[in-house]
Amino acid sequence: MAAAAAVGTRVSRLLGRSLPQQGRPMSSGAHGEEGSARMWKALTYFVALPGVAVSMLNVFLKSHHGEHERPEFIAYPHLRIRSKPFPWGDGNHTLFHNPRVNPLPTGYEDE
Amino acid sequence: MTHQTHAYHMVNPSPWPLTGALSALLMTSGLTMWFHFNSSTLLILGLLTNSLTMYQWWRDVVRESTFQGHHTAVVQTGLRYGMILFILSEVLFFAGFFWAFYHSSLAPTPNLGGYWPPAGINPLNPMEVPLLNTLVLLASGVSITWAHHSLMEGNRKHSLQALLITISLGIYFTLLQTSEYLEAPFTISDGIYGSTFFVATGFHGLHVMIGSTFLTICLLRQLKFHFTSKHHFGFEAAAWYWHFVDVVWLFLYISIYWWGS
Repeated sequence: MAAAAAVGTRVSRLLGRSLPQQGRPMSSGAHGEEGSARMWKALTYFVALPGVAVSMLNVFLKSHHGEHERPEFIAYPHLRIRSKPFPWGDGNHTLFHNPRVNPLPTGYEDE
Repeated sequence: MTHQTHAYHMVNPSPWPLTGALSALLMTSGLTMWFHFNSSTLLILGLLTNSLTMYQWWRDVVRESTFQGHHTAVVQTGLRYGMILFILSEVLFFAGFFWAFYHSSLAPTPNLGGYWPPAGINPLNPMEVPLLNTLVLLASGVSITWAHHSLMEGNRKHSLQALLITISLGIYFTLLQTSEYLEAPFTISDGIYGSTFFVATGFHGLHVMIGSTFLTICLLRQLKFHFTSKHHFGFEAAAWYWHFVDVVWLFLYISIYWWGS
């Protein structure tokens, strides 16, 4: 995927830039690889978080707010199963029940 | 002889294993009372004693290690083995749910219509919020790696910043998933599709919350200067757990959200 290739070249460019730093002499005992935190910080702010932002934009653009069209209710026997009542409320509503999109076994509640 | 001549940690007698076991009994019997006799007292008592046990037990581990110095190299090695084995057990736990999903989806029965997703099910679009969720968790994997390297390099400000970003992404994921659960046109009672979807993603979500909590504890400990640049196993354990949670999501996304649509 083009995105993955772009990430790869970006990472190697970052590594290339930090190499001169890794070459300097280290006098105070054992260190974690110097400069690697800097690379991960750059990856976080220039790749990871922008990726999240782009995806958020994608969701926003694709979302249809206030969509009233919902599938017609067909009383399939393999859906809306009620072997025993739920231990809450009236025992007939799932935990995340949304009356607009979740019909009960008998149909949508607001019809 | 008032001092030990070995490097191991002989833990002082503690009540928490007993209170933990009792809380497990209270939770299980409490679930039974709730499911069958409409009473939640025992369950609430069980959840309360369970939380208290976890808080006090792990508080004692921090006391024994950070403040009393009992966690020598060999003790830490034992803890590493322990965390790896625990995560392995969790992998197997999820393997069961993936088995159930593939068992039902690879050979859909006639009563479902003979196809997957079953008749009457409109699956979520994998390219919308589920994709965002994937990027959120992947990003959190990058930020937690930044946090770890900052910790190893002794950069306090950056390690705190990176941990905060990681935790925020975890909370963002949880909020997104909650919204997805509330908006989904299908429910847990919608046959085997609903069962496999919500049990697998539900347990995953629970693990995201547990992981976020673990990371928050690490943030608080780092604020209190508990970690050194060389010795911070609590953080590493949290990071391993967090990566595990991320990987489970990737499998969920590919199997249930993408292939399963």
